[in-house]
Amino acid sequence: MIKAQQKPFDEIRGMLGNAKNVLILGCGTCVTICFAGGEKEVAILASLLRMAEDIDNGDRQFREHTVKRQCEWEFLDGAAEEVKNADLVVSLACGIGVQATAQRYPDKPVVPGVNTSFLGLILEQGIWSERCVACGNCVLDKTGGICPVARCSKSLLNGPCGGSVGGKCEISPEVDCAWQLIHDKLTAAGRAEELEEITPPKDWRTSQSGGPRKIVREDLRV
Amino acid sequence: MSPNDTFEPEIIGFACHHCAFAAADLAGSMRLSYPTNVKIVRLPCTGRLDIVHVLKALEAGADGVFVAG
Repeated sequence: MIKAQQKPFDEIRGMLGNAKNVLILGCGTCVTICFAGGEKEVAILASLLRMAEDIDNGDRQFREHTVKRQCEWEFLDGAAEEVKNADLVVSLACGIGVQATAQRYPDKPVVPGVNTSFLGLILEQGIWSERCVACGNCVLDKTGGICPVARCSKSLLNGPCGGSVGGKCEISPEVDCAWQLIHDKLTAAGRAEELEEITPPKDWRTSQSGGPRKIVREDLRV
Repeated sequence: MSPNDTFEPEIIGFACHHCAFAAADLAGSMRLSYPTNVKIVRLPCTGRLDIVHVLKALEAGADGVFVAG
């Protein structure tokens, strides 16, 4: 899922401008799972903002609302009344949700309350790790289910490089060498010889390098 | 007397139903008194306490929060 981190409090407060009625709008999906922008984080942020406002003798009002998913119009429409009554929306959704909210309510300033970080998974409570860069051309069948694009620091397709020492990447002793993991995995599966095949340069046009992407499914269109 | 000497903090206490709240209840039965500026909120368990509860107490004007359980 998408992983995000809430922006520093002062940065969020600095984006409020002259707005008197501020809506903190959470999202009930990815950012809830990673504790960045769900209903609970909305409540905490709103409470902190109210107290900061009291300390500064300000008169801003903060309201709280969370929709199931900010990235889908049907759910976003459920926030229409709350958005209408606000001067500004602080969206705690990922960048997709922020943009969807801004597009659905074009007359309303929408600012981001989180930094969208990556597509990843939870390793243990409180630790998340990147697993996919959405390159648009998956190679996991060839690499034992370990992504060299996301997990090799150089995104090498024929690794490891000379910076791999003791199974760790040269960028940090805490980062596994993805190609060591791939090699170990395929060796254990009796597929090590597959690594002798040189993978040709990847077609990056399906990645973000090819510009904004779009999927069109004619069979699903109405 | 300085203002500090007259300051009476409003304290919200979150107490576990099974121990701390029971102790407070017993104190009441024993006719023991404690300052009226301490307000107790009973929880089924202090494991129920969330950071939001603490923030809401402070936001509502409490000067301090204690958790007993």
